[in-house]
Amino acid sequence: MAEEKELNGLRVDKITAILDSMRDDPATLKAVTGPWKSRVVWQGGFKAKAYMRKHVVQMDEPEGLDASDSAASAHEQLLSAIGSCLTVGYVLNATKRGIKIHDLEIALEGNFDNILKWAGHSPSGNPGYPSVKAKCFVRADADEKTLRELWQAAIDGSPVTQTVARPTQIVTEFEKI
Amino acid sequence: MANGTLFPVTVVGSWTRPQWLVQALRRRQAGEISLEEFSRIADDAVLAAIKYQEDAGVDIVADGEMRRDNFYSFVVEKLSGMRLMKLSELLDYIKDRAGFEEILRALDVPAFAIKSPIATEKIRGGEEGIALDEATFLKAHTGRQTKVPIPGPYLLTRSSWFEGLSDRAYPTREDLAKDVVQLLRKEIEGLIRLGIDFIQLDEPSISQVVYGDEAEQTFMCAALGSRADPTTELEFAVRLVNETVAGFSGVRFGVHVCRGNWSRKEDVLLSGNYGPLLPWLMRMNVHQLVLEMATPRAGEVEVFKEYRNEKELGLGVVNPRTDEIERPEQIVARVKEVLQHFDPSKIFLNPDCGFGTFAERCVNTPEIAYRKLQAVSAAAALLRREYA
Repeated sequence: MAEEKELNGLRVDKITAILDSMRDDPATLKAVTGPWKSRVVWQGGFKAKAYMRKHVVQMDEPEGLDASDSAASAHEQLLSAIGSCLTVGYVLNATKRGIKIHDLEIALEGNFDNILKWAGHSPSGNPGYPSVKAKCFVRADADEKTLRELWQAAIDGSPVTQTVARPTQIVTEFEKI
Repeated sequence: MANGTLFPVTVVGSWTRPQWLVQALRRRQAGEISLEEFSRIADDAVLAAIKYQEDAGVDIVADGEMRRDNFYSFVVEKLSGMRLMKLSELLDYIKDRAGFEEILRALDVPAFAIKSPIATEKIRGGEEGIALDEATFLKAHTGRQTKVPIPGPYLLTRSSWFEGLSDRAYPTREDLAKDVVQLLRKEIEGLIRLGIDFIQLDEPSISQVVYGDEAEQTFMCAALGSRADPTTELEFAVRLVNETVAGFSGVRFGVHVCRGNWSRKEDVLLSGNYGPLLPWLMRMNVHQLVLEMATPRAGEVEVFKEYRNEKELGLGVVNPRTDEIERPEQIVARVKEVLQHFDPSKIFLNPDCGFGTFAERCVNTPEIAYRKLQAVSAAAALLRREYA
């Protein structure tokens, strides 16, 4: 049996087959499309736990907010989610093009526009990040032009990045128990 | 004074690397070529570095550290028990991650670009030592006096001991320090046997203790490991240096302390005069302090007033990180300031630091480095005429 080709920690044939199947098989496409789910349960104070399939992620707020800082905050995890999604996209695109990545790191940061809105001291304004900076550092076996193309493809194809970057409707509901 | 010559010109160590050498180094690190193959390639680079120095009028030459990826992590190739780890691999073990993050952002570098040797098992050296191969080749290819820089005991101990990784082999940093000192003493014996004239212990992380921020785990060039309060750290450094050099003769010992040589942005490098460090540096039983004095970051020379002639001074007179070539007259003027506190026989002239501390992040081109050394030699000639 031929040995499976691995690149960047991925099985090249397998990932190619999955990508093709997303295009060719409606059931696969449906499974990958969603719905994606998370259930967030309050743990007291500013702590929360997010349950996603078999995974649990803790969240808390920094000590400056009189919280216990036992975990990263949701707004930090949003940055991490963008970075992680860009990482996945970069690796996917590099692997598709047969490019070996040695190191990949993305540094993200954002400043809130008007956090006084969150604090209840300001009636208007955007309490969130008006922009997020994401800098990619990569060492890989390709020229700079190619590596920049991969970065752009990762940005354009990133579900999380594009969710944040585009106007996204958050459909909220409420129920008192 | 070296061989009776006033104001001997020397280098701190590293020379700027040609791209073909960097490529070979990467292939070596990836395991694509053997150490022997790499050494053959590096031989040519060393010969060029020696030639540049000799042509520029350097009296005490070094091999340019051309075989090293940087001034201390190269020991991984020479010692068993050490692993070269990227900072990105160490993030899980760092206590003050937020502090590290700030430093990374200030430097605008990824964590994977910074590497440090970490002691993960008992460290052991081979017969070829750490730099004996470099020294042998250097001696065979120059008639000038020779200098070999090696990582100092404090630097090696501090950067290599990491809680969670090193403590199985060495429960405490002190335990590792004992082995490091013994290893360096063996190295020094070998270098003296080869006839090396000047052994320089590189100890840049000492200055980070005084000038760096208060994060418990920090790095300035190399200092990745944990540290205690500044006084304890400095006492530790003095003791280790003195244990390392105790009882040796027939060689000049120097300690090099700089405040950063990784960036051309002066504002991201540590600054401040040497005053706070001098009480400890003067207690180190070495002949010479090799210090950066060419930039305003180094502060005023008056700090040497109370230590007149206590040691030789390897005076940094050119900035390795700029394109501008210092004028010989400018260098002479700086030396004269220092001569208020030192006799001429106590002054050696050198750049502030190496031109290629990090192989992949050299701070200048060979052409400019060469012209800077020429300027230092021209200044030395002017000074010799005046003070002969």
